Amino acid sequence: MEDFIVFLVRYLHVLSGVMWIGILWYFNFVQIPSMPKIPDEQKPAISKVIAPEALFWFRWGAAGTVLFGLILAHLNGYAHEALTLQRPDIGFGMWLGLIMAFNVWFVIWPAQKIALGIVEADADAKPAAGRRAMLFSRANTLMSIPMLFSMISAQNPPGL
Amino acid sequence: MSKILESLPMTIVAGIVLTIIMVFATNKLEDMNQSGVEKAVSDIQKKMN
Repeated sequence: MEDFIVFLVRYLHVLSGVMWIGILWYFNFVQIPSMPKIPDEQKPAISKVIAPEALFWFRWGAAGTVLFGLILAHLNGYAHEALTLQRPDIGFGMWLGLIMAFNVWFVIWPAQKIALGIVEADADAKPAAGRRAMLFSRANTLMSIPMLFSMISAQNPPGL
Repeated sequence: MSKILESLPMTIVAGIVLTIIMVFATNKLEDMNQSGVEKAVSDIQKKMN
């Protein structure tokens, strides 16, 4: 039964992670580069409909990934060793994931609420918030590369 | 830093570089964390692989 619970938590961790990183990469590889090519009158379809919906699944995907990941590390008995880098193979990935999730909830989402007009803000604040959200989203894309390497290589050592 | 993040290709390259640094740091930390006996066993295992 315990093995099944560990499996279930790992499965939920991976499902949430695919949701989170999939949407992160959609933003960075598809949406952001495409925005300058979209006519102004069509841009509200992205900013008012698609982006808010994507941001909902993005931030809750991040929360789910971290929650199930920490439960999984606890169930497997390596949470403390990993977070203190006594097990750096998975520890670096965990720390990168935690920093990325912090960025999602405490930098990107608050900035996107201003940029997309979900909360009231000065007209001057919108471009600055949009740029802040973009740069932190890019930073997360950068960190996702070593984070995923760490997550996969801890399970399947590359023999380096 | 923002110059790198404004460019998607540069972001990917920086991500790969950070991955390589992380691999070296991981190996270094694992060596430091191992006791003498563990290190000897690990070295033998690496040679066998």
